[in-house]
Amino acid sequence: MPDPDTEMIRGTLDMLILKVVSLEPMHGWGICERIQQISADTLQVNQGSLYASLHRMTREGWIDSEWQVTENNRRAKYYRLTRAGERRLGLEHEHWTRLSGAVDTIMGLT
Amino acid sequence: MMRWLRDLGFRARAILFRSQMEAELREELADHLRREAERNEAAGMTPAEARRAAAVRFGGEERFREQARESWGVTAFTDLAGDVRFARRQLLKNPAFSVLAVLTLALGIGGTVALSSVVYGLLLRPLPVPDSDRVVTWWSDYNWRGSEFDHVRDVAQAYESLAAFSNEGYTLRSESGTSLVVGTVASAELFDVLDVPPLLGRTFQAGDDRPGAEPIVVLSHALWSQEFGADPEIVGRRIELGGASRTVVGVMPEGFYFPSPDLSLFVPLNLDPATRSYASNGWLVMVGRLRADVTEAQIQTDLQRVTQALGERFEYPAAWDKTRNPYVVPIREYLFGEVRPALLVLLGAVGLLLLMACVNVAALLLTKTVDRTREVAVRAALGAGRARLARQVLTESVVLGLVSGAVGVGLAIAMFDLLVASLPLQESFRETLSLDWTTLVSALALAVFAGCLVAIAPMRSLLRGDLSGVSVSDRTGGGGLREGRIQNVLVVAEVLLAVVLVTGASLLIRTVGQLQAIDVGFETDGLLTMGVLLPEEQSTEAERAAFHDLLMERAPSIPGIERVTLVNRLPLRDGGWQGPVGISDQPELQGTDRPNALYRPMAAGGFETLGAEIIEGRTIQATDGPDAPVVAVVNETFARSVWGDESALGRRFTSGFFEGEAEVVGVVRNMAVTDLVGEPPRAAYYSWDQTQRGQAGAIIVARVASGDPSAVAPALRSLVGEIDSRAAVGRIETMDDALEGKMAEALRLRFFLGLFSLLGIVLGSVGVYGVVSYSVQRRRTEFGIRMALGADPHRLLGKVLWRGLVPVVGGIVAGTVVALFASRLLAGFLFEVSPVDPVSMLSAGGVLLLVGAAASLLPALRAGSTRPATALRAE
Repeated sequence: MPDPDTEMIRGTLDMLILKVVSLEPMHGWGICERIQQISADTLQVNQGSLYASLHRMTREGWIDSEWQVTENNRRAKYYRLTRAGERRLGLEHEHWTRLSGAVDTIMGLT
Repeated sequence: MMRWLRDLGFRARAILFRSQMEAELREELADHLRREAERNEAAGMTPAEARRAAAVRFGGEERFREQARESWGVTAFTDLAGDVRFARRQLLKNPAFSVLAVLTLALGIGGTVALSSVVYGLLLRPLPVPDSDRVVTWWSDYNWRGSEFDHVRDVAQAYESLAAFSNEGYTLRSESGTSLVVGTVASAELFDVLDVPPLLGRTFQAGDDRPGAEPIVVLSHALWSQEFGADPEIVGRRIELGGASRTVVGVMPEGFYFPSPDLSLFVPLNLDPATRSYASNGWLVMVGRLRADVTEAQIQTDLQRVTQALGERFEYPAAWDKTRNPYVVPIREYLFGEVRPALLVLLGAVGLLLLMACVNVAALLLTKTVDRTREVAVRAALGAGRARLARQVLTESVVLGLVSGAVGVGLAIAMFDLLVASLPLQESFRETLSLDWTTLVSALALAVFAGCLVAIAPMRSLLRGDLSGVSVSDRTGGGGLREGRIQNVLVVAEVLLAVVLVTGASLLIRTVGQLQAIDVGFETDGLLTMGVLLPEEQSTEAERAAFHDLLMERAPSIPGIERVTLVNRLPLRDGGWQGPVGISDQPELQGTDRPNALYRPMAAGGFETLGAEIIEGRTIQATDGPDAPVVAVVNETFARSVWGDESALGRRFTSGFFEGEAEVVGVVRNMAVTDLVGEPPRAAYYSWDQTQRGQAGAIIVARVASGDPSAVAPALRSLVGEIDSRAAVGRIETMDDALEGKMAEALRLRFFLGLFSLLGIVLGSVGVYGVVSYSVQRRRTEFGIRMALGADPHRLLGKVLWRGLVPVVGGIVAGTVVALFASRLLAGFLFEVSPVDPVSMLSAGGVLLLVGAAASLLPALRAGSTRPATALRAE
């Protein structure tokens, strides 16, 4: 059974989710779509494991959720970034930049 | 801080409003799938196709739902509840397994808990004396005289203080009548040694034990509350004790005792060099408090110096040289030394049993886990994590353990009194033992521990096993090698433990067989014994002699009583006075080489009453009066050791217990003295009238014609009061009870061990049968294939048998080796059975070997007789 996280570099899914919901409140499916769309289908989000991440980050207090009525009078759970989430996103982004910079430097060696 | 609170709030909600959160999760996922399907439809799929594609893209919904739940951070809690429910279902589904497992574990837990309470009560709980590890008894092979104590106290340097004590019975007169109490008589230093302050008044002070001191007494808390209504004004009151008046100077606090709880008062010794007892026979025990800074070497040096000084001051015959083997014994050892080995043996046995029960349940659980591989595979496929499955096994065994713990506590409560009664302990110490809350706590701890221990094997096989591959290996029917290895280890362990347990226990049980065949040398049936005391302080010698004469004259007319006699010490129960004898026709045995003999006077007709067998000569008769020549009847040991094969009749000897020479008029068969086993010491029986006439204390022995001898006790007791109202009646006991008391410890101790060994065999058999037959059964398909391919059924059978028996044989060999070493520890408990007893060792191994053979043979035979096609189709 493939590990759900191997489809995306470990730990980056959280950062991407935080980034997407920082743009505007979004429901789960929308977050998936948005990530794929922006990355031009390079990044495949494992749809199932997305919810574990969302719930965990809600517990951590980085995102908040509320039910909203959408088109056709349906309910969807929307997630939005909290203050703590903003700080977290900043941290993760900084960390990522350092990491990818380091990787780039090594890979750029001739 | 805020984050922490928020996190807690979230988790609380996940627990308290779980169903709401579940519903929301379901709705959220459904919404996701619908959106995905709508997009697919928009891309041109049919609605059905769109939904299917959405589901495929999403993956296993149940699995992700589980993941999402886990992210709520309360899985440990909710899973536990679920696991417990699941465990309950599992256990109820296999009632036979569960009952067996619970019972075996419960016995182990209950036994261990009950025994450890006893061990705590006797060996660990602080004695009612501060720093009791510094309190030691000062010992030679013999007791001390007052003169020796005075000398030792002056010479010894390793002690802060040193005291001498013994015990003595007194008549206590109070409003409720006359009763017999036993108290500690001790030198004035006793309470300095014990270092316990009184509750009221004072304890002993210097000079209390010297001639001319005012007679005083210190009461125990128990006596003070029972006899004197806990009177706070008791100090200064005079009470009548042993016919004399004594002033109560103090009361000890509750819980204090010395040396045992049945001694209810403390009276100063009279260390008067003018009295006969000061320098005659030794009857005192010395107890000292060691200096805090004293080293082991200094104690030894001091002992050497003291004994040397003793040797210079006193002259000791070789037969009881008190300068030999001096040693100090910690007070706890002095009080409980005898019971400790029995306790540790029992604790060891019950510990082994618990371990076996764990191994057994582990083995059963393992086969069950393997049985459930398909279920496990399905659950794994449905999204249960491996750790989660392992945790479920753990929960199941811990639940099993807890149920067993509860049953075990019940068993412990039920068995406790019987257990305590089976220990070689004084009655009064037994009463200090009880189960308490620590029992419950330790049972709980043991239950959880046993549960975890039991879960190790199945969890290992579960965590190591390839869950997704299980269904494949299941089809071929080959039990994994690794799983086979765990089972083999369990079988070896189980057989080993069973062999050790059963060997030890059967050694002890065979000892019981030997013990029961013991002959005590007289007829215990139909004998009643009753202590009587006419205090010296209250009566003259002539009055006491008349009292005894009247008693002997009138007692036989009590209906039911056939014969009656007086003795100073009871056979079987009491040790007592002994002294050197000088054999007149063996001059080489004079002086310090003179042999010792027990001093046993008895009234006329004593041997007839006891039912002892005279080998040679005659018994003690009424004609052996105070003015007739002194006669003696000696026991076999005496006659044989002194005169060998020659007749003892007509020989003469001297002793400190009477004037002049006594003539041997008879030889009596040995009667047991205090030990049931081994040859009794030399004993000489005299005429009461010639040696003991007019003494204060005596024991009446009455033989009844038929029925329960204790039926005549009331009549005998009122006769004593009629003859002399000053006389007090002491201990009343039938001789059978005395014998039973002697045997009971041995018998009950061995009853428990017998029970353990039976359980050991049963557990071992069940476990071995379960594991071996299971592993054979699992290979049925393989056998079917082999036979279909043309394998010889006989050879196949042989192979199966071999594979099943190898671990059993391994366990037997290992167990026998361990038992060979372990049984040496039991040597002290054995009687006429060698610690290396082949019968005991082989019996355990044989049974288990048979069980192992049956366990592999029966399923193998069935496998061999099934048609290959059937076996294959059974999958």
